[in-house]
Amino acid sequence: MRYFLLVFTALFLSISAIAQEKITISGYVKDAASGEVLIGAVVQIKGTQSVTSTNNYGYYALQVAEPSVELFVSFVGYQVLEQSVNVTENKRYNFELVSLENQLEEVVVSMKKQNDNVTNAQMGAFNFTMEEVKNIPVVFGERDILKTIQLLPGIGKGGEGSSNFYVRGGGSDQNLILLDEATVYNAAHLLGFFSTFNSDAIKDVELYKGGVPAQYGGRVSSVMDINMVDGNNKKFAAEGGLGLIASRLKLEGPIVKDKGSFMISGRRTYADLFLKLSNDETVNQSKLYFYDLNAKVNYRFNDKNTLYASGYFGKDDLGYGKLFSFDWGNATATVRWNHIFNEKLFSNTSLIYSDFTYNVNVSNNDRDFTIASKIENFNLKEDLSYYANNNNTLRFGINLLRQKISPASLNAGEESSVNSIDIESRSGIEAAAYISHEWKPSSWLSMIYGLRATDFMVQGPGTFYEYDEDGDPIGEQSFDGGVIKHYFNLEPRLSLSVILNSEHSVKISYNRIAQNLHQLTNTTSSLPTDQYVVSSLNIKPQFADQAAIGYFRNFGNNAYEFSVEGYYKFMDNQIDFRNGADLQANKYLEGELLYGIGRSYGLEWYLRKSKGKLNGWISYTLAKSERQFEQINDGDWFNARQDRTHDISVVGMYELSKKWSLGATFLYYTGNAITFPSGKYQVDGRTLFYYTERNGYRMPDYHRLDLSATYEPKKENKRFHSSWSFGLYNAYNRRNAYIIDFRENEDNANVTEAYKVALFGIIPSVTWNFKF
Amino acid sequence: MTRSIYLLISVFVAFVSVSCEEIIEVNLNEGDPKYVIEADLTTLSSDQFIRVTQTVPFSADIPSKSIEHALVSVSDSRGQVFNFTYQGEGYYSFKNLKLQENVVYDLSVRIDNELFEATSRLEDFVAVDSLGVIEERIFNEPYYFVLLKFNDPIDIPNYYRYSTSVNGSTFKFSSVFNDKFNDGLFVSHEITNSDNSLAIGDSVIVRRQCISKDVYDYWNEVQFANPGNAAPSNPKSNISNGAFGYFSVTAAKEYGVRIEML
Repeated sequence: MRYFLLVFTALFLSISAIAQEKITISGYVKDAASGEVLIGAVVQIKGTQSVTSTNNYGYYALQVAEPSVELFVSFVGYQVLEQSVNVTENKRYNFELVSLENQLEEVVVSMKKQNDNVTNAQMGAFNFTMEEVKNIPVVFGERDILKTIQLLPGIGKGGEGSSNFYVRGGGSDQNLILLDEATVYNAAHLLGFFSTFNSDAIKDVELYKGGVPAQYGGRVSSVMDINMVDGNNKKFAAEGGLGLIASRLKLEGPIVKDKGSFMISGRRTYADLFLKLSNDETVNQSKLYFYDLNAKVNYRFNDKNTLYASGYFGKDDLGYGKLFSFDWGNATATVRWNHIFNEKLFSNTSLIYSDFTYNVNVSNNDRDFTIASKIENFNLKEDLSYYANNNNTLRFGINLLRQKISPASLNAGEESSVNSIDIESRSGIEAAAYISHEWKPSSWLSMIYGLRATDFMVQGPGTFYEYDEDGDPIGEQSFDGGVIKHYFNLEPRLSLSVILNSEHSVKISYNRIAQNLHQLTNTTSSLPTDQYVVSSLNIKPQFADQAAIGYFRNFGNNAYEFSVEGYYKFMDNQIDFRNGADLQANKYLEGELLYGIGRSYGLEWYLRKSKGKLNGWISYTLAKSERQFEQINDGDWFNARQDRTHDISVVGMYELSKKWSLGATFLYYTGNAITFPSGKYQVDGRTLFYYTERNGYRMPDYHRLDLSATYEPKKENKRFHSSWSFGLYNAYNRRNAYIIDFRENEDNANVTEAYKVALFGIIPSVTWNFKF
Repeated sequence: MTRSIYLLISVFVAFVSVSCEEIIEVNLNEGDPKYVIEADLTTLSSDQFIRVTQTVPFSADIPSKSIEHALVSVSDSRGQVFNFTYQGEGYYSFKNLKLQENVVYDLSVRIDNELFEATSRLEDFVAVDSLGVIEERIFNEPYYFVLLKFNDPIDIPNYYRYSTSVNGSTFKFSSVFNDKFNDGLFVSHEITNSDNSLAIGDSVIVRRQCISKDVYDYWNEVQFANPGNAAPSNPKSNISNGAFGYFSVTAAKEYGVRIEML
């Protein structure tokens, strides 16, 4: 920690020294129609290298050398704003950009700063606004950001209907998913067919798969940072959609015009309404639905202080008559205070809460019981950005995160033939401090480097067990409270770009990340009931070290972006299970765990066209991901389940006319690595399968084509807009294998056969969207 | 619990999707053959059988390969040795072996130069209090279960194994239970046959055995093997030297019931 402070002070002083006294202009960039702040909008001094972009709150700070300059302000999907400013002292300039959507005539489309992908030091990152992805076809007509990012190179798809994703060969629990800074533990609805992110409520998504900046930590493979819409602060607006599966409604408007606004957005599925039609009492009392509720308010007190409060609440409810019910959901709450100390120093203080719970209720004859499980966290963050000058930005901050896991406890009624079981909860505090320096030492070099220091404190009270080699408990230690163990980690981060010229660059990145929350999944699809554990005396923090190198090139006047990236990732303290592990309500759970290492490497190609009537991208990933555990597969390396040799996505969007736009996606990937039998035998008249090698086989290759069409009738009046979205999921009705299993032949038990289950055939969908 | 959730998920998947099932060809390797030993000695009779077989390739049209030349013997802690003789189809038998309480039994199977060994001890039998049949309706389809009620002994871990014979067929494994969630309570076990197909008019014999933890672990892995498992593996045997199968010495009783219209 002392070392960290030393580095911090030295860096801060040296940067302050070079921050010569120039005039700084600063302010916010907003949407002209709604007043919504724009994240990542570019502010550039015409004809110079002086450029900056807005932060997560739409704030920018730019130094100007001359008293009169011409500024370009631009953002994807918006008309470029050209404005001359005369400055003699530090001054506030807020800019409002006009969306191209409201333009009748075709105008120049701007993609941020057009070659930002080449010159920006950040590597391994993607950024999307919801507007950019609205024409990508999706299952059941529900736009879904989690499904969209799975079309990018290096992001492995979780499989049919899954919201899981695997970044660069990492596990699905190694992705940090943040919604307005709050951790979302389970991003899946209905077991993964939908994600918890209602597209109406989402403004923008930033995804890091490598070179993760120092302000993020806690998950070793990726960060997905999602920002909610703030709400229109100029006028009241409503937006919604009616679909076959779900309907949505969003309301937003000013609290005080230009000062504060609110947004509330909800979504609910109604497949269960069909159950009500059944004559069977058990069926028509059954439940099968989910809903989401997003809400946000913000208020700008003055030029220096803005307050944001936002929250999410979602729940899935499945129930079978009165016999059995199962519900789960996430809740998040974030309060943020933006304070501008001076033009150069921007501060954000966040107080965050989030949780994930599930409940099971069984009332069957004399077996009444409930199971409840909860994981929650409180998080206090202070993030500061110091805009020293146009070539140096310093970000630093501290973070105190307390996570508590209350594992599934079983609560039985008095007369029940089941005993209540209470499993001890576990908690840990992670204290972190970071500093990151974004530095452009010359026109051909830019970099972001930083350091994150974390101290994970295992907390009491609790009884901790020691285990022998076979996982049997051999000793125990009880603690009352306080800190039982510290895990200190230093996590260096680097992302660097060598700009060969304005059209091509070479970038390198490195990051080390530690992870203290681990999800235990021993099924192929992750379930809401998967157990979480924090690092303890037995469970060590997971680590990943990742290095990457890439070549970035734009051509055709920045109409085409091309990149190729290669990476190598080493992962330590990975977790797997003993055969037949008992993960439910087991106080000796940690004895069931095995620890090993992982490695993954690959090459990722990406070609994107972002101008013209036809746009979209092609991505191709060639990769390998393996694990090694002493007790599994005779200690040999084996393929991780998500190991995919080839993974191809093609996304195309075409504007046919003013009224019609079309979209198509095609995917192809190597089947998951899987364990199949290499023989059979019989025990007590039952055929059992003989397994030899972990994940030694492959599922069949997966491929699928989805199509969509959007029809926007001519706007009849200024206020009311509507559109129709038509979708065709799995257009050529490919029967992709969801499960392959083996069984005795029904007629002759001596013969065994393999069968596959395919989930979705061709699925049409239609959604009517409106906005006023 | 996990089982209920799987049931719910499969119902859900069946409900939302037009899922389809189809027989496919999968090109599977042949693993090195392994020996399989089924040694289930019970108090039901003094005629004891042990079966020795070998794994076969997945595509073989026989369920397993009989081993005819094994030397099979059981010895007890009082120094008695029982040498089993080959009967055919992989079965070895000994005519007069009456299991005794509080005696430890050792299994020894020698095949060529390989020796496979295991140890087991007779567990106390937990008496059944009452017997019945219940019907449960799942999506309007009736399913029948044999119901056994009994007092689980408190403060000791108990493990139960059931096999069923329907209308005189050979006994097949049904299910195993432990008392993790109901230690010391008045417990009901619902038993059905291996493919959950009991129907009105069936006469069912349920064989109940009180087994040891290692035998329970073996069968629990067998019964929870399902296609949703991320890493299926061979159930952990209590026999040494990498043999498959199990060695169990148990007190057992059989209960006959006829499934009738309720």
